[in-house]
Amino acid sequence: MADINIGAFKMQIGVISCSGEEMLGGTLTRMATRKVMEELRPGQAISLCLPLFLAGGEEERNFAKNFPVISVDACEKHCARKSTEKYSGRVRDCVVLTDFLDPEVIFSKTVSMKDLTEEHYHMVDKIAEEICKKIDAASAGS
Amino acid sequence: MSKEYAILPCNGLDKCAGCAAGELAIRLSEETGSEIICPVFYRVADTRYNRIAKEKPLLVIDGCASRCASKLAAEKGLKIVKKVNISEEAKSAGIALKTDSLRLGETEKLLIGNLADRLKTEEDTAESGQETSFFPAQLTYDTYQKDKFMFRIPEEEAFFFNENDVWAYVSGGKARIGVTDYVQQSLSDIMFFTAPNVGAEISQFDEVGSLESGKAVFEIVSPVSGTVTRVNEDLLNEPERINQNPYEQGWIAEIELADFEEDKGLLYDFNGYFPIMKRKVDEFHV
Repeated sequence: MADINIGAFKMQIGVISCSGEEMLGGTLTRMATRKVMEELRPGQAISLCLPLFLAGGEEERNFAKNFPVISVDACEKHCARKSTEKYSGRVRDCVVLTDFLDPEVIFSKTVSMKDLTEEHYHMVDKIAEEICKKIDAASAGS
Repeated sequence: MSKEYAILPCNGLDKCAGCAAGELAIRLSEETGSEIICPVFYRVADTRYNRIAKEKPLLVIDGCASRCASKLAAEKGLKIVKKVNISEEAKSAGIALKTDSLRLGETEKLLIGNLADRLKTEEDTAESGQETSFFPAQLTYDTYQKDKFMFRIPEEEAFFFNENDVWAYVSGGKARIGVTDYVQQSLSDIMFFTAPNVGAEISQFDEVGSLESGKAVFEIVSPVSGTVTRVNEDLLNEPERINQNPYEQGWIAEIELADFEEDKGLLYDFNGYFPIMKRKVDEFHV
């Protein structure tokens, strides 16, 4: 479960992904986060919108201050993790695509959803799996 | 020939509209050679994106009413040439975007395709320029002075005022609205401007945004009813423009009028408002 019980408080877990347009990796983080929210851990974690977070979204920033957050970044620029730490505090855990996927694909140009390949969808599955592991670990309090 | 833009999409992840904004940006970049400005990375490293934004006309794609991309463009001082809001476009087209999923369905894809086709050929309309045909290039003012403070009121016949110290300049079925000098002098240094949503339908005396200074928060009460068609984006970054001149560079929004003949009955012209403002200044202004 992605809710943590600490005394009387029931905590939730947030996922904030880079979802950027600088490279294909951003698109993949977006799709993986969506897959986690809608298919793999529905109702067990909350997605935080990074562009809104950066634009001053109070709800997103307050959530990240009060609940554990897992950042999902495409590359070593760590936009999601650094932004969260700048405005809300340390993240509980982070997923970085270049740690376990082919950087050549991650750094390639963004493509329309209609042009995504089987390889891309396979990568989305792997990223989603990593996010789930972090959510489950945070839920278990490890 | 297809248009090439610098595209700044909101790229939101929380709503289907944000996902559609990102997909529209990618579609246009693939089909026209336009370049995408990543709204997240732009905040980290802006040099490269500033160059792109200067070289090509800037298209801003917002997903929802939060208008994150527009706010970012205002923060960076970019000149917006074209702006699209996915939620508003969907509403205009009679399309209900998904609320229970971020996945783009056939309806969303159709909307994206239609918008892409339109944007590839549509004429530019610079958003940060003044519309001289609608609003006069120069205004003439009458003034009332109290101590060192000067209170101006435009004398043009097309200006109308409500008792809440908000003006409307009315011409050809449209109105531009703003606050009067009494408001900006009373508030002193205005620090925040909360804009109304473009596309919002408002009734006369509805709230149409707010202003905040160190002294107070002022709710802008609309003098007219209709649909908000444009907001002065410059104020998001520089609300002090209202202090500089609330009638010219400090205007608030433009509204497509619903029934001005009816609204007019509850408004004042220059001659009616001047003594009201004078009394307020004498009684309340410190």
